[in-house]
Amino acid sequence: MKATIERATLLRCLSHVQSVVERRNTIPILSNVLIDAAETGSLKVMATDLDLQVVENMSAASVDTPGAITVSAHLLFDIARKLPDGSQVSLDAADGRMTVKAGRSRFSLPTLPRDDFPMIVEGDLPTKFELPAKTLAELIDRTRFAISTEETRYYLNGIFLHVSDEDRPLLKAAATDGHRLARFTLDRPDGADGMPDVIVPRKAVAELRKLLEESLDGHVQIDLSASKIRFTLGGEGGVVLTSKLIDGTFPDYSRVIPTGNDKLLRLDPRSFYEAVDRVATIATEKTRAVKMGLDKDKVTLSVTSPDNGTAAEELAAEYGADNLEIGFNANYLKDILSQIDSDNVELHLADAGAPTLIRKDDKASALYVLMPMRV
Amino acid sequence: MSYLIAGMAAHDDEPDCDLQDETGEDTPGLRKIIHVDMDAFFASVEQRDNPDLRGRPVAVGGSSGRGVVAAASYEAREFGVKSAMPSVTAKRLCPDLVFCKSRFDVYREVSGQIRDVFRYHTDLVEPLSLDEAFLDVTEDRHGIGSATNIAQVIRRQIRETTQLTASAGVSYNKFLAKLASDQNKPDGLCVIRPGEGASFVAGLPIRRFHGVGPRAEEKMNRLGIATGADLVAKDIAFLRANFGSFADYLYRAARGIDLRPVRSNRIRKSVGGERTFHDDISSGPLLRETLHNIVDIVWERIERAEAKGRTVTLKVKYNDFQISSHARTLSSVVADKAQFTAIGLGLLEEMLPLPRPIRLMGMTLSKLEGVPKKKVRHDDPQLSLL
Repeated sequence: MKATIERATLLRCLSHVQSVVERRNTIPILSNVLIDAAETGSLKVMATDLDLQVVENMSAASVDTPGAITVSAHLLFDIARKLPDGSQVSLDAADGRMTVKAGRSRFSLPTLPRDDFPMIVEGDLPTKFELPAKTLAELIDRTRFAISTEETRYYLNGIFLHVSDEDRPLLKAAATDGHRLARFTLDRPDGADGMPDVIVPRKAVAELRKLLEESLDGHVQIDLSASKIRFTLGGEGGVVLTSKLIDGTFPDYSRVIPTGNDKLLRLDPRSFYEAVDRVATIATEKTRAVKMGLDKDKVTLSVTSPDNGTAAEELAAEYGADNLEIGFNANYLKDILSQIDSDNVELHLADAGAPTLIRKDDKASALYVLMPMRV
Repeated sequence: MSYLIAGMAAHDDEPDCDLQDETGEDTPGLRKIIHVDMDAFFASVEQRDNPDLRGRPVAVGGSSGRGVVAAASYEAREFGVKSAMPSVTAKRLCPDLVFCKSRFDVYREVSGQIRDVFRYHTDLVEPLSLDEAFLDVTEDRHGIGSATNIAQVIRRQIRETTQLTASAGVSYNKFLAKLASDQNKPDGLCVIRPGEGASFVAGLPIRRFHGVGPRAEEKMNRLGIATGADLVAKDIAFLRANFGSFADYLYRAARGIDLRPVRSNRIRKSVGGERTFHDDISSGPLLRETLHNIVDIVWERIERAEAKGRTVTLKVKYNDFQISSHARTLSSVVADKAQFTAIGLGLLEEMLPLPRPIRLMGMTLSKLEGVPKKKVRHDDPQLSLL
């Protein structure tokens, strides 16, 4: 294989795929990217961790000898990063090495044969639909913070996507770590009818979100089966992300969304966020609870720490129900409030031991449920 | 059987510390011991989490030149693939073998789940590794009725919580319980009842005895010992003359006797880790970089164990397999990762220049002080949604 490519193109492409590659690998070839130069003058770059693979096409300045080879992802990325802007990079693989040349720099890197490079077998992906990249990005932003990192309940380590028929056909995304839940709802796109319930793993979500950032104006083609999902993004050459799905059953989360919470609190999410953040200054890892005292049109936030003393702040709010004291993890509260993009947030409360529903208003696509802390 | 045990305990005068602290004062009758062993644990976890691997020969471990098989699925074992076998050999025996990188975080989580199952039944749990443990269920905390029933309940609970199978051996001592769990693997149960121990052991090839490896087996074969029965026929003097300190264990084992109690309070003495390289290393910069990588791995373990220790040991294995280690002990515990790294680098400097390239490097933190127990979560003020 021999090809020449612009440094900027190479760098952009490698920056997309290299984060898929795990830093430590017991299987050496998983540290590598596959580079495949076609006669047509396009260069395909591919990275995988066996659960997730990203393939990107870029146009080469020239392809002298078509062919494919694998080389260390992080080395090539670091080299591309350090090469001077505007340089032309030549990649030449022969005899188990790849020579990378640009200007006066010359690197000779060990390679592994392309035939050993594992590919995810996609199989048939019968469900096909399209979403605006912006919508998909919002779906991820509104839900991903609630994804569990606890490996015991592996089926919570991703975003759950499923279709549902209520007053109109919907596509719903949900994530929970057992303490809080985030749900995002959108009108069901054409082609998503009959889609199997799937759980998209956290790493795939993170990689996809990064890729979306660069093509927010376009559309994303989504193809899936019960075990695999593929996202195809437009842009120059295009990027294809294929991931295995989490093989598990997401809990029936609808039963934890409260419907009869009769105490309604309305306030400005930004000042609420800032006040929580201020009083939480003295909270420690052990006492991260912030207590909320609700009185007529007033919220009193307070934190008591055995080591750091106490903090309190009063906030104006709209509240007319019975007085209530309830505690929440300050960080969980902040995570949710930072997703509310409005001058108004609604908290629907029942009591100090029951789930609280949080949303912008009853028309919002996003809905959050937060479980209190004992204080 | 109980006569034999009492007899053994009475004339036992050897200074084995295992025997010293188990006078059995609180267990006048026979104990009820269960040995639980997960089936092809690491490989089964991989097959559970990745449906593509089910029904296929799977090995967990590195597939490269110096990788070894950490665990093999039953499909792989049919080809003769075994744990601790070099991956190259395994691949030759079974060309379709699928290698998975090990995911110890997941194995540890599952291990925690099965230990929770064990602790539901008894506090007398002695873990031997992530996937096996001895349990003393003499007390029958939940009134399940018999040790055999408890073993079945445990196997069912493990299957329900982890979707994995375990085999269990039930008997009146650890030695027999462990032999029994191995008897009907996978997903099996075997019970050796009081009175059956001696005859069970008599029929066993001596290789199945815990502690008898290939070398001891060879020696025994030379001495005409092939089975438990052959071993019973030898008197203690003969065994002592030929096997030294191993003799007393063999004497008792051959009679199905094992007086060691289930020890639930294993205390960790050190936390460490090591890595074997693809290619031997000799250059200084590369050695230092490698040390940083090892610090990353080991410090994470230290943090997870919440261990505080005063001695840092750096170990290397040269390309001729000779091992060398340097250690430094501080007057107070190692405070943080930076200090741990600095001490490691200092120890490395002491070893330079290396006489030969090295193939392995490892670091250990020892002289641990008051390793705290894992925090109990039951008083978590955060309420749960699911």
